[in-house]
Formats: sequence, structure tokens, C-alpha cells
Amino acid sequence: MGNLYHNKTAQWLTYAVFFAGFAVIPMTVDDSFLLNQLATYGVYGMLALSISLCWGFGGILNLGQGIAFGLGAYGMAMTMQMQTQDESNPIPPFMLNNSLDHLPMLWQPFQNTYVGMILAVAAPTLFCAVFGGIMFRARVSGPFFAIMTLAMLSAFYTIIIDRQPYTGGVNGLTPPSSLQFAGYEVDPYSPTAYWVVFGFLLGATVIAKLITQSSFGLVTQAIRDDSERVRFLGYSVAGYETVIYTVSGLIAAIAGCCWVMLVQYVSPAQLDVGFSLSMVIWAAIGGRYSLLGSILGAFIIQGAQSYLGDTFLATWLLILGGFFIIVVRFLPNGLASLVESGLGLFAAKRGPASAEPNGDAKPIPAE
Amino acid sequence: MDLGSLLNALILGVSIASIWLIAALGLTIIYGTAGVINMAHGEFIMLGAYSSYMLQFYLGLPYLLCLPASFVIVALVGLALERGLIRYLYNRPLDTLLATYGVSLVLMQGVRLIFGSDPKYLAVPEMFQSNVMLGSASISAFRIVVLGITAFLVFALWLLFYKTRFGVQVRAVMQNKEMAASFGINSGRIYMMTFALGAGLAGVAGALFGVLAIVLPTMGASYVVQAFLMVVVGGGSLAGSVVASGVTGEMQSVFAFFTNDTFARFIIFVLIVVFLRFRPQGLFAQAGARR
Amino acid sequence: MQFTRRNLLKTTAAASAALAAPHLWLPTASEAWGATLKKGEPIKVGLLFSLTGSLAVPEEDSTLVMQYAIEEINKAGGVAGVPIEPVIVDAKSDFAVYSEKAKELILREKVIALFGCYTSASRKAILPTVMQRDHLLYYPTCYEGAECTQNTICTGPLANQHSQDLIPFMVQQFGKRVFFVGSNYVWPKESNKNAKVWLQKAGGELLGEEYIPLGSSEFGPVLNKIREAKPDFIFSTVVGASDIAFHKQFKQEGFKADKMPIASLTTGEIETRAMGAEFGAGHFLSAPYFQSLDNPTNNKFVENFLKSKYGKNGTTHYNMEETYTSAYVFKAGFEKAAAAVGFENVTPRAIRDHSGGVRVEDNVSPEGLIWIDENNFNCWLKPKIGQCQADGTFKIVKAADSHVAPDPYSIYPDAGVCTKDGLKAPDGKIRKSVI
Repeated sequence: MGNLYHNKTAQWLTYAVFFAGFAVIPMTVDDSFLLNQLATYGVYGMLALSISLCWGFGGILNLGQGIAFGLGAYGMAMTMQMQTQDESNPIPPFMLNNSLDHLPMLWQPFQNTYVGMILAVAAPTLFCAVFGGIMFRARVSGPFFAIMTLAMLSAFYTIIIDRQPYTGGVNGLTPPSSLQFAGYEVDPYSPTAYWVVFGFLLGATVIAKLITQSSFGLVTQAIRDDSERVRFLGYSVAGYETVIYTVSGLIAAIAGCCWVMLVQYVSPAQLDVGFSLSMVIWAAIGGRYSLLGSILGAFIIQGAQSYLGDTFLATWLLILGGFFIIVVRFLPNGLASLVESGLGLFAAKRGPASAEPNGDAKPIPAE
Repeated sequence: MDLGSLLNALILGVSIASIWLIAALGLTIIYGTAGVINMAHGEFIMLGAYSSYMLQFYLGLPYLLCLPASFVIVALVGLALERGLIRYLYNRPLDTLLATYGVSLVLMQGVRLIFGSDPKYLAVPEMFQSNVMLGSASISAFRIVVLGITAFLVFALWLLFYKTRFGVQVRAVMQNKEMAASFGINSGRIYMMTFALGAGLAGVAGALFGVLAIVLPTMGASYVVQAFLMVVVGGGSLAGSVVASGVTGEMQSVFAFFTNDTFARFIIFVLIVVFLRFRPQGLFAQAGARR
Repeated sequence: MQFTRRNLLKTTAAASAALAAPHLWLPTASEAWGATLKKGEPIKVGLLFSLTGSLAVPEEDSTLVMQYAIEEINKAGGVAGVPIEPVIVDAKSDFAVYSEKAKELILREKVIALFGCYTSASRKAILPTVMQRDHLLYYPTCYEGAECTQNTICTGPLANQHSQDLIPFMVQQFGKRVFFVGSNYVWPKESNKNAKVWLQKAGGELLGEEYIPLGSSEFGPVLNKIREAKPDFIFSTVVGASDIAFHKQFKQEGFKADKMPIASLTTGEIETRAMGAEFGAGHFLSAPYFQSLDNPTNNKFVENFLKSKYGKNGTTHYNMEETYTSAYVFKAGFEKAAAAVGFENVTPRAIRDHSGGVRVEDNVSPEGLIWIDENNFNCWLKPKIGQCQADGTFKIVKAADSHVAPDPYSIYPDAGVCTKDGLKAPDGKIRKSVI
């Protein structure tokens, strides 16, 4: 038998075990803080997943994933803010303070919860499709695309700060009540909120996994490894890149909506360069060539941040930085590659490996 | 609007350009030669400021001597980093981004542990504490110092790259590492030297920024993104960075004159995206293929 | 919760409902503070400040001075005879972490009050949690107002208190023409709106208003505009690292503090020390507290604090003092609540509701007597104007004769009046939790 790591059935089983474990938690614990915290990690997991899909499988390093996440989050926050306004009090308090006497056009669609939530997801996705389409058609790739996403991210960050009357500026938006959906209140500390995030994470993971195993996914991985060769074979490289980049943006936008549902807050800090970089770090540490590895990367780093950060206080950032350096230096494919080589050893011991690596989607890193 | 104030804005633009350029100079060398995306560049700048502070506070070194001393100290830090980490990552350029991000966290927090999180103070000679009138325009003496040092460093780098044997070797390695190696050039050594040189240049920038602004463990973070954009827009070459910084500095000054600082930045970021859309390789791309 | 069959059924029902049919989502209610105090156990309070990252500069001092105040209170017998136990967390200068840590302190640590935040953005990030759990935040710094929650107590000056004396003083001393410079966020903008009211009353003239991105250190364009406008003085609400860059470049560009001083709401002892006293000298600051205030309480506070293990940064400043007094506001409010409802029944809500009117007397408060407003739960205080001297200390040039009332909606009369139960609109409707 070959390396179990590359066995499709084993992969799906691992995913099933992970999500089953994730699902058991709210049934066994009664700690509303923990539920909320784990759900937040789930959101970060979605972000790491989106990076893994785009970077690990599509070869597109995106340092501006905060755009999709942030726009989604703003859309959701606007929707939730408008839910707390009524006839007698039609516009959010911060606008009054910024001398606006009527609701701006930009905000009007968000008066309707359903339209608002659809827009919150659709607008960032559309942005990714257009931005990606334009850039990939011009054959912008590699570090150049990464830098452009960085510039674009900075542009959004600055304009949100500058247009304070419409966006709340640096303070961002703070919807004072939890999300109302179809007549119910979604308490961010309840199992309900947890299940929503769980559902989206599960859905996103399954879809992403199916994509990577499809023929479409194989082509994107081929593009990652040698885009010129794929182009000469007659594929529309730009088209494939745009689609994978847009799907990744869609996942990030949904993550943004979930995040606001959990924390009832969004500010330009969510479009800060540092936050987008940390998404890339989660995927890199967990293993960008493994969807589940990336998700776990987010869980591990954020979990350590929450639980070890206060224990080590001053030395925590030293430890974290040192950890990044060591992982990048010695485990270029992240922690998931430890599992891969571990299982590889196991397979080697069991006798001669069968020749076929199962035609699997797990890639050989190329650079 | 009168022409005098526009002229003032244009003169200020030159100064802003020199600040953007000196922040980007070290990164240009490092990225241009080895393709390393050094996220710790901002922390090199911070180390330069702290080196000057340390030399001034503990040894009483005059400010002007702190500049070359900061160059040497930060260059040594860069050298150590290159030998200990970066040299293992040359064939994985995107990974250098992540590893150096880790380095930046370590440097920032390390400095905070040693010096504390309160801001430090760099003293400069009294003659740099005032302004100079050029007709109706006015500019601070220290901005002229920054401009002068930037111009000097650009000239020195040009001499180094185009008039010395070392420069020929660097350019050969840049264009084709294997070919250069087959002519007996030790590319590992070239990378090491250029990385140290780039770090040292960041150190000088830090010693200057400590006077213009503030000395804090987190001071470097605000420079690294803009430095990157300059280098990439310039195409990784010295001339490219000079032109990119020049144009951007002027735009920042003139747009801020007509609108406000925040909006001026927004316009610049958008223009950079639009520019890279049409010229992803930057203004003056390197000759030959860097892989 | 035990893993019982009933709980399992309940949660799985919720789960399947959530996943299968969104419209069947079970309604969930917010619950208030889920803890009770026990005699003999220390009272836990949360200190939610940043100890790392860019906000650590002011907030590390806040944590230190809070620890000092708590130690001092405990030495003197504690609160209602019970010691306070601080739970210290690091918010890492990241607003998302503020939110997470606030939840941890409230839901897991079950602290009875939070002391924390410096920037408005971090306050906004934690307020949803604080309000939803009907908890209590002591916000110990100056802020913009225009907020009426039933869950905050602020011990710093509001925008309406901050510039009331400063603007007329400057107009009288230096002239009518003024230029506003601020960081680009809500507090400077709101402060400037208030300042405009005072400026109009004083007969001054506003020549220009510029905002610089937070953290920016490039003041060339703004200084050029100031040079063009030739104001008599500058009113500054630039904060943090930018403020230091602003004062440095101001002098480097040839502006003189005696001809065109900067009247600031932020440039205190810590800033002047960081920029070097020569850049701060001659400029003005409005604050309720200066290290140089000469009264027995302050002299004792400065001496004891600086020699304690918390005084390592070597200075005291207005933000620290406001944090220090907030500990005593908590003590007074807690004791009043305990007297009214009994120690075991004290909750964050009870403390807040009994904090209206509590006083921190002359012999405790280094800035002098302050008390909490019974309606909006901000602080009555006396703003003072200090001028920075060549050695970086401030000379008090003017102190308010009487206490100034806090009014979070002073410039928005149409919005209503902040009362104990919420924002009372002109039509008489009371709206809770307006942020």
C-alpha cells in the first residue's frame, strides 16, 4: 500500500473525524465563552481554508484576503446595524454625529436583512471576480499579484478610514444587538451561533475538497506548477485563476459575515495588512497543500495565542516568531507534512510501496 | 490657489520622496539581488534607530557618527540573519516572506524586552533644529540632511554596482546565478554581502527617522508596506526605486495639498494597482531573467 | 453541564434545527452576569489593556497604575472589607483580541467589572459584549461622548469639558486665528466640533482643519498649510506616535512655540519626555491632571507611586491618574451598592446604578475632588491648563474655578439627553444602549 496520507478514503475519513469532534463539543460542554471562542476559530479556519485553496492549490498568494473578509464583515455589520433602527430612529447614531441627516444610498439596501446579507456575500465575491479577472488576464502572477493585493488592501483600508460619515471610520461599526434572522435572535454565545459557523465551515471544506479533486482542481494545480505549459496546452489560465481566486474570496466573505455575527463589531483593523498576513501564516504553518492542515493551523495558532499569550506575556511574541521561523525553515509544507512523512515512514516499513500514488490531488511542492 | 504654495508643495514632495526612497533603498538591494521578500525590513529600520539611541545614550556618540555606526550594527544583524536563516530559503522566495515575518516579531518584541515600550529620544545638533528659507519656500534643515544623505547613498550604490568588481559580480549573479557561478563567482557570498548591505541601509534610515518621528519598537511596521510598493513599482532596480519614490513623494505632497493626507494615500494606492496592472514587472525591470 | 440525555437532546435539536431549517432557529435569550459574590473570596476585576503592540505605550502604564491602586486599596482594608483581585490580560493592541478578552473576563473569569481600553475603537469592540451581559466597564480616559450606554463609567474628561477653558484662554493670550490639526478618527473630529463652539463664543476664527492618518509621521503637507494660513495658535488633537512627530517637525520646520504655540488635548508628560523637552517647551495642554499639581494628595501619590515597583516608567500623567481614580470610583460605587442591597447581591448592574453621585474626595484623588454624574455616569472635574517648561514638566497657568459638568450630547441637542436609563429624545422616548 502507498502512503496513507495520499489515500482519498483516508482523507475523507480524517475530515469526518475532525468535523465529528467539532460537532460533539457543544453537546458536552456548557461554557458559552468556549463556544463563542471555538466558533471564532472556526471563522479563522474558513479564512485559512480559503488561503490554502487559493495559494496551496491555485498558486496565487493573496496578501489581501482581508478585502473579501472585511467587505463581507462590513456588509453584515451594516445589516445588523439597520436591524436596530426603526421608523422613529431611521439612521445609525454615528451618522448623526457625522452630520448626516438621511441614510446614504450605500446603506439603503441593508435596511432589508435578506438583501443586506446577500449583498454582504455578493459584493466581495464580485469584487474578486472583477479584480482577479482584470489582473490574471494581464498575466500578473506570483509576488507581483501578492503585492497588488497588498496595495488594494491598503487602498480599502485608507478609504474606509477617510469616509467616516459612511463607515464609522477607525471605530468601525458596532451593531448594538445580536443578529435577528427570520424572527429569531442569534445569540453569539449560543450553540445556535456555533452551529451556523460549523455548518459553513463544513460546507466550505467539502466544496473546497471536491474542487481540488475535480479535473478543474487538477488544472489549477498544474497552473501552479507551470502556468506556461498549461497555457500552451490550450487552457485558459486566466479563467481558471479567476475562478479559484473568486471561490476563495467567497469563502472569506462568508467568514466575514459569520465573524460579525459572533463579535458584533467590525473596524478597518480587519482590513489591516497584519491580519491578512496572519491568515497566510495560518495556512503556511498548518500546511498550505492540505485544506484540513490549514484549518488546524488557524486553530493551533489562535488557540495558542489565546491560552499561552497571557501565560508568557512578554516572551509570547518571541516564541511565536521563533515558531514561524522554525516551521518555515524546516517544514516548508507546514505541520501537515509531518503527518505525511510520518505516514510515509509507516508505509515504507510495511513493504514496497505500490507504484501508483492513487492519482491523488495532494501535490508535490513546486517552486 | 497661488503658485507659491504649489511650489512649496513641490519642494516638500522632493523631501517626502527622499524619505520614501531611503526607507526603500535597502529593500531594493535585497529584493533586487536575491528576490528575498524581507518583511523584517521595518524592524531593521527600528534597529537602526535603537542603535543610534544606544550609542548616544550610553556612549555619548555625536549624532552624525551614529549614522555610520548604525549602518555597521544593523548590517551585522543582517549578516547574522542571512547566515542563520535566509540562505536556506533562496529557492523559496515566498517562504522568505513568512520566515522574515517571524523574524520581525522576534526583533520587535526583543527590543521591547530590552528597552521597554516607552518611546526613546534621539538628540540632534541644534543646527538641524530649524528651517531654511529658499526664496518664499521654506524647508527644515533636517529634511535637507535626509535628502543629502539619500542622494549620497544612491550615488555610492551606483558607484558600487557599476564601477567596482563587486558590482559586476552582483549584477552577474542577479542575471544568472548558475552562469555566474560557472565563471567562479561565489554567489552565496554575494547574497550575504548584499543582504548585509541592505540591512545596513535600513539602519541608516532608522537613525534618520528616529529624529523625524519617534523611536519605538513598533516604529518599523509603518514603513515596510510603502517600501515594498516602491521597490515593486520600481522593478527591483536602483533607478526604478529612485523614480518610483520620486513620483510617489511628489504625488503624496500635491494630492495632500489639494485634498487631505488620508485621501492622498488612497489615490496613490489605487494608482499603484492600476500601474502594476499595465506594467507588472515594474518601471525598470532587471535585465535577464531572475527566477 | 453534564452530558445528560436531556441536554444532548436539546442541543441536537437545536443543531438540526439550525442546519436543516433556518426559520426554526430556537430563540435564545441573553443572560446577565452569571455569578454571585461570596464573603471571604476576593472581588475579581478585569484589567483589559494592551501590554504588547503599538497601544502598549499608554496602556502598559494604565495596567501598572491599576495594580498600584488595587494594592493600595487592599492594604487599607479592601472594598467593603474584601480585597480586590485583578485579572490581567493582554489585548495585544488588536481590537479583535479586546473583544475576545472581554468575553473571557466576563463569561469565564466572572469578574465584576472591567477596567480597560484607551482608544475609542477598542471600547466599541467590547461594548456589545459588555451591554449584552449587562456588565460594567470603567473607561479611564478622555473620550468624545455621543454615547449613552447603561454599562460604562468614565473618569476622563468628555469632549465638552476638555476644551471649554483652553480655547478662550488661547484666544485671549495669543489671538483669534486658529488652525485645527487632528488624527483622522472620531475623537479628534468630535473634540474639534466642541472646540468650534467655544471658539465661536470666544470670537475666534477657524482658518483650517486637517486630519492625519493615525500613526502617520509625515507632517510636511500640514505644516505647509499652516505656514500659508498664519494662525495665532494651533489646536491639536493628534495622538500617539504621530503627536511626537508633529511636535518635532513643527520645530524643525522653523515654527516657534512663543509665536505660534500648540494647544493640545493630548501632549502630556509622557509625550514631552519621548520627543525631548525642547520640542514640547512652550506648548499648552488641557487636562484634569498634571504631575506638577501641587497638593498634598498628589505629592504623596507621585512620591509613593514612583518608588513602588509599578513606577518604573518614571512619570505620572493624566491618563494614569484617571485610571487611578477609576479604582476609587469603583470602590465607592461598590460600597454604596453593598450598603443598599447587601454584599452578596452586588452585581455589575447594582454597582453601576449606585455609582451616580459617588465622590472621590480631595484626600484620595490627586487631581482634586471629582464625582460621577447621576445621569450620564461621566465625571465632574476641573480641567486645568498647563504650559510645558524647558525641563518637560508642566506649569499650571489656569485651573477651572468650579467643576465642569460632563455632557456627552452637548453638541447634539436634537439627539436628546443622556439619562440613567438611556438616551431621552426630545419627543420623550428613552432609547437604551445608544452607541
